Amino acid sequence: MRPELVRFDGVALGYGRQVVLRDLSFAIPEGDFLGLVGPNGSGKTTILRALLGSHAPLAGTVTVTPGLRFGYVPQRDQVDYDYPLSALDVVLMGRYDRIGLGRRPGREDRDRALKALEQVGIADLAGRRLRNLSGGQRQRTLMARALAGEPNLLVLDEPTNGMDLVSTTQILGLVRDLHERSGITVLMVSHALNEVANYVERIALVNGTEQAFRIGAVEEIISEPVLSGMYGIPVEVSAFQGHRVVMARRPRRV
Amino acid sequence: MFETVLLFREALYGALVIGVTCAVLSTYVVLRRIVFVGAALAQLSSAGVALALWLSGVSAFQAAGRHPAAISLLVTLLGALFFGLGGGRRLISSEASIGVTYAVAAAAGILFIAKAVHGEAHDIFLQGNILGITRKDTVVLLAVGAPVLALHAVFFKEFLFVSFDRETARTLGYRVAAWDLLLYFTLGVVITGAMQFAGVLLVFNFLVLPAVTGLLLSNTMRGTVAGAVASAVLAVGVGFFLSVPFDLPSAPAIIAVQGFLVLLAWIARRNRE
Repeated sequence: MRPELVRFDGVALGYGRQVVLRDLSFAIPEGDFLGLVGPNGSGKTTILRALLGSHAPLAGTVTVTPGLRFGYVPQRDQVDYDYPLSALDVVLMGRYDRIGLGRRPGREDRDRALKALEQVGIADLAGRRLRNLSGGQRQRTLMARALAGEPNLLVLDEPTNGMDLVSTTQILGLVRDLHERSGITVLMVSHALNEVANYVERIALVNGTEQAFRIGAVEEIISEPVLSGMYGIPVEVSAFQGHRVVMARRPRRV
Repeated sequence: MFETVLLFREALYGALVIGVTCAVLSTYVVLRRIVFVGAALAQLSSAGVALALWLSGVSAFQAAGRHPAAISLLVTLLGALFFGLGGGRRLISSEASIGVTYAVAAAAGILFIAKAVHGEAHDIFLQGNILGITRKDTVVLLAVGAPVLALHAVFFKEFLFVSFDRETARTLGYRVAAWDLLLYFTLGVVITGAMQFAGVLLVFNFLVLPAVTGLLLSNTMRGTVAGAVASAVLAVGVGFFLSVPFDLPSAPAIIAVQGFLVLLAWIARRNRE
């Protein structure tokens, strides 16, 4: 049995007196590739913040393995691209907590940052100003920054939000490659069920408005009864050339 | 002409210290999009001076009124604390709270001065009198500015990280709120020091225009800071050389030069891209 990196035990999450999600109990074992999926406003970000330690649970406990290092990839629009920073400058930030207060990055940090850029396939863009990168390149830069910190758990928040089909496929493929090549544990948060369902190994479905949470293997979760129950509408699951396709069933015309 | 300027060399040195210190901080002010927080803090600082002048005429508070810089610092730091903790954004937008602070501080400053003993004579505190800076004042400005600049030099990467991406900084263990507060406090200290001589308009200029010039000229953080400092030094120097011999008000002359430098930097940037 793989050791657990994170465990939620009877966790209730919310803001003030308003409970968004209750009785959350699940674990993320080492080597997992988990997708946290749900509609907008379903509580995904709240779970993510509780995991990262920036949101205290109202009840229950979130246990994180001692020494666990998160490699956090924020949503692209959370970052201000007007800063005069190169891709390498940004990636080096992933090393800052290792470098220590008041110290400057050294050769080893620079080498590690360059290697991270290489891992995500944009080593040639190290000196390029962040503002001059495309959406996909910016996302890769943020992923490289997360990897530069040599994390045990890579956490991606809506990594394909606002991307076109090609960039989405490339980014999701890259995440899967990183997981398969290095065995790194991955948690990917997304509202796009169809995208996530074809890449991850397990899915956690969340719907705060229904106070519903379900976690399991992809085959178990991507089924019509489970999805219809979670989303509250009839859902159809089909397969197309080995890909799972989830659609809301259209009401019949009378 | 050069001799005339030399007569005011102490004021020139003081203005250079103010310009350089504010220019370094202006990089964060512009990049974090808090330019009007700078204006509101400057206005609070001037309201603090006015409050001290008014208190000096109230028998129970006469002792406190003799320390306008200390009261100005206290008022400004309270403002820095308010904005550093989010500026009440849970209830109203940041822009609204900045606007309220600015308007109320400006009005309070005018009201305190109106009721202060010899208020008219002290208007100079609010408008600034850059040519009145003495060697002693420059030493005080250096004593305020040098530690702030040293702090920003040592913790450059920390201030940069929490400004650029606070959420990721938080996940890496940075106490983002504490760094924010430290940044706002250094801003408050520098603004208070500068406000004793420079006035709201010139301080606001130094908190915005140098960084804009630096950002237009450079593609790196260090280059931006260097460009901001160089443009502030140039603006102060040329502003003095234009204003003193031709009997122009110094602060607007410095701002006009600074504005011209922004224009030149903008043209250079357009040509480069």
